[in-house]
Amino acid sequence: MEILVCVKKVPDTADAEVVLKQDGTGIKEDDLASGINEWDNYAVEEAIRIKETHGGTVTVATIGSADSEDVLRRCLAMGADNAIMIDDASFKGADPYGIARGLCGVAGKGSYDLVLAGAQAGDDGYAMVGPVLAGYLGWPHATLVTSILLEGKTVTVTRELEGGLEEMLRIELPAVLTIQTGINEPRYVSIMGIRKVRAKEIPVLDPAAIGLAPGEIGANANRIKRTGLAVPPAGKEAEMIKGTPAEIARKILDIVKERGGVA
Amino acid sequence: MAKVFVIVEHRQGVMRDATFELISLARELQSRSGLEPAAVVIGHGVRTFADTLSKYLPRTIVVESETLADFRYETYAAVLKDILERETPLVTLCPQSAFGMELLPRLSVESARPCATDCIKVEMEGAGLSVVRSIYNGKIHSRSTFAPSGGYLVTVRSGSYAPAAEAGSAGTIDDCPCPPFKAPFKTEFLGYREAAAGAVDISQSPFLVSIGRGIKDAENVPKAQELADRLGAVLACSRPVVDKKWLGKERQVGTSGRTVKPKVYIALGISGAFQHLAGIKGSGVFIAVNRDAKAPIFSAADYGVVEDMFKIIDALKEQIGS
Ligand SMILES: Cc1cc2nc3c(=O)[nH]c(=O)nc-3n(C[C@H](O)[C@H](O)[C@H](O)COP(=O)(O)OP(=O)(O)OC[C@H]3O[C@@H](n4cnc5c(N)ncnc54)[C@H](O)[C@@H]3O)c2cc1C
Ligand SMILES: Nc1ncnc2c1ncn2[C@@H]1O[C@H](COP(=O)(O)O)[C@@H](O)[C@H]1O
Repeated sequence: MEILVCVKKVPDTADAEVVLKQDGTGIKEDDLASGINEWDNYAVEEAIRIKETHGGTVTVATIGSADSEDVLRRCLAMGADNAIMIDDASFKGADPYGIARGLCGVAGKGSYDLVLAGAQAGDDGYAMVGPVLAGYLGWPHATLVTSILLEGKTVTVTRELEGGLEEMLRIELPAVLTIQTGINEPRYVSIMGIRKVRAKEIPVLDPAAIGLAPGEIGANANRIKRTGLAVPPAGKEAEMIKGTPAEIARKILDIVKERGGVA
Repeated sequence: MAKVFVIVEHRQGVMRDATFELISLARELQSRSGLEPAAVVIGHGVRTFADTLSKYLPRTIVVESETLADFRYETYAAVLKDILERETPLVTLCPQSAFGMELLPRLSVESARPCATDCIKVEMEGAGLSVVRSIYNGKIHSRSTFAPSGGYLVTVRSGSYAPAAEAGSAGTIDDCPCPPFKAPFKTEFLGYREAAAGAVDISQSPFLVSIGRGIKDAENVPKAQELADRLGAVLACSRPVVDKKWLGKERQVGTSGRTVKPKVYIALGISGAFQHLAGIKGSGVFIAVNRDAKAPIFSAADYGVVEDMFKIIDALKEQIGS
């Protein structure tokens, strides 16, 4: 099994202050911690598990700046065999179609049986790159995959639906699958492990090397045109309870008693 | 006149609620921008859906075929591509759900129409379409338009529009033939798998204490369990807690977990993603504790506390006594 896993480095914004750049084109990322997209971490783990059971190789690829190298090294430390970096200068501001075009070029340079992506990216979360890439490749796809069973030239997968329900599908290979969180328990990566792959060469490819014509990607080629970012308008806001933890706790218990009648 | 289509989502013989939210949006695009709305329902045994839908929208398009009995993007995208090419709707709406996420991006490639996913607002801006998406954990709204196209595809986040009521007049129903498929298919539907019933049924509890990623470590979970016990509440959680196997799937609140309606819901260290909030709609009192004052959960909660959840857990335990 030759497996390609698409990974993206994303800023962690759940537990941090998000500030818009002055010109409103993006957010200030300098002060934000960042790392591998949560969904992609599960995808890399799943690829490595398939390799461990069935043999083959795992290649991870990202379209990103030099700053994304640590994410690729982390994947190598987890057990990926190869990493590819596509220099993102000409991809700046590319929409999911542009990213999928680039990844399609990467997939075309190998002979992969399976391409894994995250179900969505935690930053701008389109949940599009996987199925669009499959469309460009002319391969079948399944999104939100929660288990993968390899059987010869097919995979049997479960897809997560709503309310705890899942569906089972059989899919012909080669295929693109997008991975949902919780599919496995990603292994721990030690600093020692990362040191071991420090010297591993990571080729950096430019768009021409993956068969893209100039102008085929980048902000001008976008089909989704971002026109502005803004802090959400204030809507209904919760009534804030203030004070020392003890005072807050007393008020919470009062509310629970009066409004809920359950304590 | 330009048209707006709503792709109807149904599963196991039931139309899903999100469809009716999109009907509201389609009506809004009709009243504000003059788009002509229609529902598109495809599948097997869907004629009864069409009867219902005709009470909501002036037109319903039906494609009925045994091949469409179970949803697969392959067959659905082929039928929809055919409809889009014949009818040329300017806007086609679908829920951002396991159904929409599987179908619309692929339909976008097959039908050569651009798609924007997970939108919370959709409106016409002149001859073009403008959408708003909520990104970076709900902390930023991004507005986008599209490169000019004959038609635009949009998936819409659940809860962005209120569900529509019946219109009171009967619409027309157009039965359309199913186009021939390019078999053999590369995907095959094998069946559904229900979630195993767990040890607790959180949907039956009037009082839930719910923990999120803010719990940080497996070894902190007992602290929350103990608080729930002392309060006489049941412990629930957000998805990451289940993904990490710190609690069982049966305790997960949200679109892919359980829908709950307790009298009291206390969320500790949960950011307020829409998939989580969709699971507690219609609950009684909703109290959120989060150390980030900008967490989106505070626009959904009735009461908010900006504080370290562990301090509040300890203080609550102290107040209750043992
Ligand atoms: C198809 C799909 C289905 C999904 N279904 C569900 C679902 O059913 N249910 C669900 O919950 N999610 C679901 N999700 C995931 C959802 O998008 C979010 O990723 C998830 O809800 C985030 O969980 P969280 O709020 O616990 O974590 P985070 O978003 O990481 O937030 C953690 C919060 O804790 C706060 N915090 C951290 N430490 C402390 C502390 N010491 N004290 C106080 N606050 C603290 C932080 O400020 C932050 O706001 C789904 C996603 C997808 C793509
Ligand atoms: N710049 C990128 N480089 C490599 N893979 C990416 C990139 N952007 C997105 N992906 C992949 O596509 C998935 C879904 O992203 P999105 O469609 O943006 O939500 C991610 O989880 C990654 O697997």
